Amino acid sequence: MRRINWFAWLWFTLGALYFVLPLWGTLIFSLQKRRGVLSLDAYSAALGDPRFVETFVFSNFMAICTILASLLLIVPTAYWVHLHLPRWRPVVEFVSLLPFVIPAIVLVFGFIKLYSKPIVLLGIPLFPSLTTSNLSTNLLLIAGYTVLSLPYMYRAVDNGLRAMDVGTLTEAAQSLGAGWWTILWRVILPNLRTALLSGALLTFAIVVGELTIATFLARPAFGPYLALLGNHRAYEPAALAIVSFLLTWVAMGLIDRVTRGTRDVVAGSH
Amino acid sequence: MPFLQLANVRKLYPNAAAAAVENFSLDVEAGEFVSLLGPSGCGKTTTLRMIAGFETLTAGQIVMDGKAIEEMRPNQRNIGMVFQSYALFPNMTVADNIGFGLSVGGSAKAAIQQRVREMLALIKLEELGARYPYQLSGGQQQRVALARALAIRPKLLLLDEPLSALDAKIRVALRNDIRAIQRKLGITTLYVTHDQEEALSLSDRVVVMNHGLIEQVGNPFEIYNFPRTTYVAQFVGTLNLLDAVVVEPTAGSVQIQGQPAHTTSLAGCSQGEQIRLALRPELLALKSTGQADENRLAGVVETIAFLGAVVRIQVRVGEALLALDEFNNPQLAVPAVGSPVFVYFARSSCLKLL
Repeated sequence: MRRINWFAWLWFTLGALYFVLPLWGTLIFSLQKRRGVLSLDAYSAALGDPRFVETFVFSNFMAICTILASLLLIVPTAYWVHLHLPRWRPVVEFVSLLPFVIPAIVLVFGFIKLYSKPIVLLGIPLFPSLTTSNLSTNLLLIAGYTVLSLPYMYRAVDNGLRAMDVGTLTEAAQSLGAGWWTILWRVILPNLRTALLSGALLTFAIVVGELTIATFLARPAFGPYLALLGNHRAYEPAALAIVSFLLTWVAMGLIDRVTRGTRDVVAGSH
Repeated sequence: MPFLQLANVRKLYPNAAAAAVENFSLDVEAGEFVSLLGPSGCGKTTTLRMIAGFETLTAGQIVMDGKAIEEMRPNQRNIGMVFQSYALFPNMTVADNIGFGLSVGGSAKAAIQQRVREMLALIKLEELGARYPYQLSGGQQQRVALARALAIRPKLLLLDEPLSALDAKIRVALRNDIRAIQRKLGITTLYVTHDQEEALSLSDRVVVMNHGLIEQVGNPFEIYNFPRTTYVAQFVGTLNLLDAVVVEPTAGSVQIQGQPAHTTSLAGCSQGEQIRLALRPELLALKSTGQADENRLAGVVETIAFLGAVVRIQVRVGEALLALDEFNNPQLAVPAVGSPVFVYFARSSCLKLL
């Protein structure tokens, strides 16, 4: 019989407690809105608030737009770097990590300073102020979110590209008559499916809870709503925190399911 | 006019000291099977990739079917290519892989299905159309890659070391299949390999390359029996190299390790000149007596290696070590190591190398 490693179990238990206890506390607290009994009052109040629905839908929409924007930006870039500029890979990797170093507050102030007045280059107006209309500010918000998601999305795509023989697959497709877009769409993207899904779900998680950029651009996003609620209410933020956790776990479960389904295909290709 | 013409092709990579391919000129006739043979780094794959369009030319011209193609993009050349690593699309079934080129070209669905069926029959994998590449063996994957390259009815087929990743038995079987399919379709084919046996057994002509240059072009018989340079002679098959001194050029007499011998290839040599002669192991024989016009060298048996069908015996002649092959048979009298022997060979079998 194998000996039980008590030391390993001790650390595992400590780690689990560190993670579970606050969550357990939050859950119990969120159920105590009605004095003396456990109830779902905080949940019905939080989820029934029209501002919750409004901000949640807005942030989800922004997240989808961000995922599309970062896919459009990152997949062709990473593919091209892999194929033709392998020496530039460390540089691109460094750039992709910058959002970890530069705080969101710096980014958003940079945005506001640069884009709140019309951009004029050598006397030629390039584009008007981007902070004056909701649509253009939303575009700025998506741009900001795209920057924040860069480290996760780039890494996911880069890992996916490393796992396949990009050069030879591209050449094989070219010799069969395919052009760049056909290759990207029919050969590269389908084989990046797992990587793209992981990147997309991480981006989704970041965008839906993001506070700083949305606050300073004054957009009705879910992050600022949660912060506002936290300032004025006690139980509802706890309820929403639990809901957010559940959503994240569902997302992680999805990643795991999809990854498990395709791992054999990718591994078997080499 | 040849179907494929490479004229003075040169490839110099940026920051490289020497050209990867230098002054490469070759004419390939329609339907011909030509192999580019050489060690890694000799420029054979670079040449193939320039024809496919994956590398640009530094200088020279490539003409296919009367058209200069060196400026055309790879996807406009209509050249099928098979890669060492198969390069099947992992997300597509076998049938979709084979049909990919046709669907990119805008063929109708029914036509694609028909062609895929033909190709699957050609490679004898009719049952496996719905499988994914990872569900196939290496040999099957390479068959599919061949079918995929042929499905688009290419003008030219390029194969870049297609058998290198496979084990020995499958390699031989697939080699024969490739040749049979090539003959059946009559498609002009260029085949890159570092395996001389593969090149000699498959090709109508072999191009031996070294350091980016062509060393010799010829049919397998010429390449093996009449190598022009030491390099070709050594690269293709096993070879004994013997230093000799010319005694009488007109009579063809030389001295090998102090022993008299004759050769028929002394044209242009002067008396006293140091030359190098090449002898194939299978052209040497251990005998007690020989014919009058045969060369005879005395030596001592140094090693005996049993290679199955062949027994390879190494005989020390002065400072030189001669390898010779005897066909194995149960009655073969193999001499003992250390025993003195006579090695016989025909005068015409020693070649003077450049």
